[in-house]
Parts: sequence; C-alpha cells; structure tokens
Amino acid sequence: MRKIIQILAAVLVLATLCIGLSASALAADSTAPLEVVIWDNNQQAGLQAICDLFTEETGIPVQVVVKSWDAYWTLLEAGAMGGDMPDVFWMHSNNSQMYMAYDMLLDLTDYIAASEVVQVENYMPEIWELYTYNDRYYGLPKDYDTIALWYNKTMFDEAGLAYPDATWTYEDLLNAAKALTKEDGSQYGFALNPSNDQDTYYNFVYAMGGSIVTEDRKSGYDDPNTIRAMQYVGELLSYCPPNTVMSETGTDVLAKSGQVAMITQGSWMVADFKQNEYMAENFDVAILPYDSVTGNRASICNGLGWAASAFTDRPNDCWALIEWFGSKEMQTMQAELGVTMSAYNGTSDQWVNCAEGIFDLTPYLQVASEEKTGDGNNMLVLRPYTFNSTQWQSAAQQAFVAAWADPSKMEEVCLSFAATMNNLIAQEVMP
Amino acid sequence: MATKSIGRKPKMSPWDKSQLIWGWIFIAPTMLGLLILNFYPIVDTAIQSFYRTMPFNRGNVFVGFENYINMIADAEVWQSLINTFKYAIIEVPFSIAIALVLAVFLNRKIRFRSGYRTIFFLPMIAAPAAVAMVWRWLYNSQFSLINNAFGLHVDWISDPNIAWISVGIIGVWSILGYNMVLFLSGLQEIPGDYYEAADIDGANGFVQFFHITLPLLSRTIYFVLVTRVIGALQLFDLIYMIMDGTNPALPKTQSIVFLFYKYSFQNNQKGYGAAIVILLLAVTMIITLLQNLFQKKWVNQD
Repeated sequence: MRKIIQILAAVLVLATLCIGLSASALAADSTAPLEVVIWDNNQQAGLQAICDLFTEETGIPVQVVVKSWDAYWTLLEAGAMGGDMPDVFWMHSNNSQMYMAYDMLLDLTDYIAASEVVQVENYMPEIWELYTYNDRYYGLPKDYDTIALWYNKTMFDEAGLAYPDATWTYEDLLNAAKALTKEDGSQYGFALNPSNDQDTYYNFVYAMGGSIVTEDRKSGYDDPNTIRAMQYVGELLSYCPPNTVMSETGTDVLAKSGQVAMITQGSWMVADFKQNEYMAENFDVAILPYDSVTGNRASICNGLGWAASAFTDRPNDCWALIEWFGSKEMQTMQAELGVTMSAYNGTSDQWVNCAEGIFDLTPYLQVASEEKTGDGNNMLVLRPYTFNSTQWQSAAQQAFVAAWADPSKMEEVCLSFAATMNNLIAQEVMP
Repeated sequence: MATKSIGRKPKMSPWDKSQLIWGWIFIAPTMLGLLILNFYPIVDTAIQSFYRTMPFNRGNVFVGFENYINMIADAEVWQSLINTFKYAIIEVPFSIAIALVLAVFLNRKIRFRSGYRTIFFLPMIAAPAAVAMVWRWLYNSQFSLINNAFGLHVDWISDPNIAWISVGIIGVWSILGYNMVLFLSGLQEIPGDYYEAADIDGANGFVQFFHITLPLLSRTIYFVLVTRVIGALQLFDLIYMIMDGTNPALPKTQSIVFLFYKYSFQNNQKGYGAAIVILLLAVTMIITLLQNLFQKKWVNQD
C-alpha cells in the first residue's frame, strides 16, 4: 500500500513539472496569441477590432488586455526586472526614457528602415522624439492628444453669456467663470485639481510664457511667468468648487453631474464624454483661450508609442503587429472608430467625425495647426518630461494641495517646489 | 520521544522514521510556500534597504544605513506611523468589543439566528477593494447617501480632522463579522454547566458575562487581539482606494504601508521603501512581544 502511495506521489510531482515545462515551451509557438497590454478601457474595443483584422491577414491571434494605469506600470516594471514583459504594449513619455535607456524595449530601427509601410516622415516628429534614444527608435507613434475647453451650453444660455470662441483670452475665461458661479454653491464656473496638470494648468503656464521643465532640465516653477500663471489659477479657484470636493471627485465627474460650467480636458476623454447623456446634451467644445500679454495659445501635446518587449521570443511577429498599427489604413481606422487622434499625418481629420452631431471636435485639431486661430498664435507644447518624471509630477500634485487650500500661498509654493523638483531631477541617474 | 531518551540520541524505530518522513512530506507544501513567498522576500527586502536602488534594480549602490538615517529625519514617516496607530486604536478595540457583544447575543437561541450571523459576516466575503469603493461613495461630500439623507455638509474623507475616523469606521465594519465568528467558536467551547451553576447561585447575565464568559474566552480574545493589531498596522487598501494623491487629508491619514507603496512603486525608490517596511516589521514585532509579555496577566492559562 505504501509503495503505491509513494509511486503516486512521485508521478504527481513529475506531472506538475511536465506541465510547467510544456507551458514554457508553448510560449514560443507562433499560433499562441500575441499579448497586447494597454491601460485605457475606452480604447479596447476599437483596438481589438484592428487586431482582429491583423489576425485575418496574418493568422496570428492577438489578445488585448486592459489594466488600470497603476497596475499597468507595476506589471511592466516587474516584467522588465524578471525578463518577461507582455509582447506588445504602450509607452508613455513619463517612463519611456527609463525603459529605453535600460534596453527594455525592442530596438525598432532596423525594422523601420526595412519597412515599406512605415516611413518616418509620415508621423508627427514630436511623438518620434519621445521614443527615440541615442538615435535609435524604440516605439512607433500611435496617437497624439491635445487639450480643449469644454463648456456647458445650457448654463451659458441661462446666464445670457456668449459661448467661448477663438477670441477668448484668459481674462475672458476668468470673467465667465465668475458670472457662471452661483452663490448657493449649486453651480461653479470652472474646476481644476492639482492633479489636472497636463489637461489644465500646464496649458496656462506655457501660454503665459512660463515652463514646467526648462531647456536645461531644471524646474520652471520659479520662472516669473510660471508664477503669474499659477497666480491666475489662484484667482480662478474662487470660482471653483472647494478644494476638498475636487480632491474627492474628478473634475470630469463634476462636469458630468452639472456642477461646473467649464473644464479643460484632453482629447482622450472624448470617447468617454460621448457616452455620457448629460455631456452629449449640454456640452460642447471650444479652443483654449490665449494670453493677452504673450498673444500665445498653448496646448500640451502628448502621444503614445507602440513598443515591444526586448525579451520577446517572437520579435518578427511583434513588429508585424506594430507595423500593422502604424499603417496608414489602420491609423485612419483608429481615428474613424473614435479611439483617438492618430499620429500619422493627415489621418486625424476622420476623428472629428466620430462625434458628429454631438460635439464639435475641430478645436482639438485647430490648436495643433501651427498658425493663428482668432488672435492667438497656436503653440503645441510637448508634455514636459525628464528621466523619471513620475516622481516630481506626483510631488507637485501633493505640494500644490496647500496652495489650492489657500491660493495666497501660490507664489510661496511655486518657489519652494522648484527647489524640491530641482533636487529630484538632480538625483536622476542615467545609466 | 524526548522523554524516552535522556542524554543520548534516540534510536528511531522504523515506525518513528516513517512518521518523521511523512510528517515532513505533509508540511512540505506549506513550508515551501512560506520559504519562497514569505521568508525569501523578507530577507531580500532587508538587504534592499541598504541600497540606493536604480531603475529595474540594475546596478544598485550599497549605501549602508543612508536610507535609515534619511528615514529617521523624515517627518512624513513618523506622521504615517502615528496615523497607522490612530487607525489601530479605532479598529482593534471597537471591532473586538462590538463583536464580543454580538457573539454573546447570537450564541443564544433567538429567532433568525443564522440570518443575523450571515449578515454580520457578509462584509468579510466582499473584496476589500469593493468595500472601499462603496464606502468612498457613501462618504463623498457632494453625492453621498450619508450627507444627502441627513442634510449634512461634512467632508468625511477630505477633512484631515475627520478622515482618519471615517477610515477607522470602515475598518471596524469590515472586520466585525470575522471577529464575531471566532468569538462564537470560543463561546461554544465553554461548558453550559458553569452557567447552570451560576443561575442556581442567582448570578444575573451581567455577572455571568464578566465572571464566566470573559475569563474563559480570554484565550480567544488574545488571539484576536494579536492578529487584529498586526492586521491594523498593515492598513493599505482602504487608504489606497478611498483617497487620491491630492486629498488634503492624506498626510494625516496615510498609513506606513501606503507610504511604502508610494516610494517603492510610484517613485521608484525601492531601497527607501524597503527601509520603511523594515521599520514597520520592527514595530510590529515589538508590539507583539509586549502583548505576549502582558498576556500572562490577563489570559486564562488553564
């Protein structure tokens, strides 16, 4: 009897080992699905449709998995340390420098040189810049995003105000916010939280001639123009919900629930806003205001890149998929489906139609055209980044909580945070 | 076996030997799990706390006690430790006291007894993240059920003076059922004879509770106390799910594990994060040791 048990136990152990081994052997099989990981739920359906066409064409199945933003970077970092990342995934300017510098991403330079589909000059140069390191390409531009002003038409009508347009300066925005704020706290003119950096206050800073990161990689928060912009934010806060409210509830949710008349938001939110009945019925989009002193209208621009794991067993399959995403047809399809604007020049006009009859999305494209709209000079500013941007970005969000609670401290917080940020940047070590 | 062999190595009979081997085989899966999933990471974390870690752990620099020296000077660390204690001071005593009373009542023969037991245990089977999300909206200053039902304007989770209590209440609510079940099982081990004898002597329910139930339940209470204190010191998911990084109440509410998460996974400072979590380990061990010393004074030893 005991013999039998011993034999059984031995067989069990062997069996588990075999299963483990065969699972790792299977991974190199080209009929196994390529694993694509992204962080934006709004894009999954559209991207899966594009991947399904790829499977039809090549026979390689693709599985698109969505993670939350935090979980995404934890997964990717753990994968990078253990040498087992997903096959194909998104890169973001926050982290791209670090991943490229440490050779975690598949070098796409030779593939791009050999490709007939991907020609470097067809994509926005700003986005290439984010995914190029030492003159090698590690990511293919996927999309770009800009910022625009969302306003509640019903509230403007009720207050008898004209809708925002290209003639608006930041003073006009402030005056309208004041006029739209009701004393009983049921309605506020504007909303921004310290976490609304890229989509809100960075734009003010660059329009007013300031900066977040200077050209010599220092903090721009102590620049007098940056301080002027942040003091403008301080004035605007009088017509925003209390800072405690905005810290609990996102400004997009406050807009959706009819509590604020205006917010500025990125083009990546369109897919979400379109599905919200209240937004679709009451809101429309205008171009950002310009600053009357500089005459500039600035929109922060960021773009994702398609990247592949440096450790993948199937680099050719990964490149085939990335090339597919980057092809003119699929970039057009991405825009048409309303997934996002596309990084391939000239394909984004289709994106405007994805919200036809609901929102007028042209302001998002107008601000990207390097010319004048109304009286303001349009400026497209790449989202500020350094080697480890996340660190000072989250520190800034926490530091400005004090200034949000008491806007008279704005200048003080700007100056003290500039020192903190310079310190953090100085500690960044490139390999 | 020890009694049989004094002064020399015991000679094992084949039976003993086979017992020994099978004993090891049976505990091997758990032992392996503990070694690989618990013990190894602890050692690794302790080692990491002496390094300045680089991205992806490539080329970490040994810095001796630098992380610890920085930590001692870091007011945020001490504030977080205080926050964690504040949470524990709400969660542990209240969840034990209320659960004890509930357990005594639900140990009696009352109608719908199993129904009540199920209701109190339910929060335990819900995922902590889901519990936190529901409470986040219950507490929301603009749209919450609590504020709207009672016509209040309280910033439950963004007022630094209130937020820690709000979080503590969720903690008590979530763990109540689990403590109650442990107490129920403890209560069922107390022989009914004691209560019968007390009844005959004319002791009322109050006296019975303090002179029979409490002393005979003290070992269960001790177990719950030790495990709950350790659990409370590890507070993370409630804070992480309920409070965003820009919440004005966060500095006065964030727990030590939350701070560890922030440094290790958001700021890419794994060495410093490791030092913070080693501090928590030390604090937890000291508190558990103290409890172990003092338990002789109040825990029934028979």
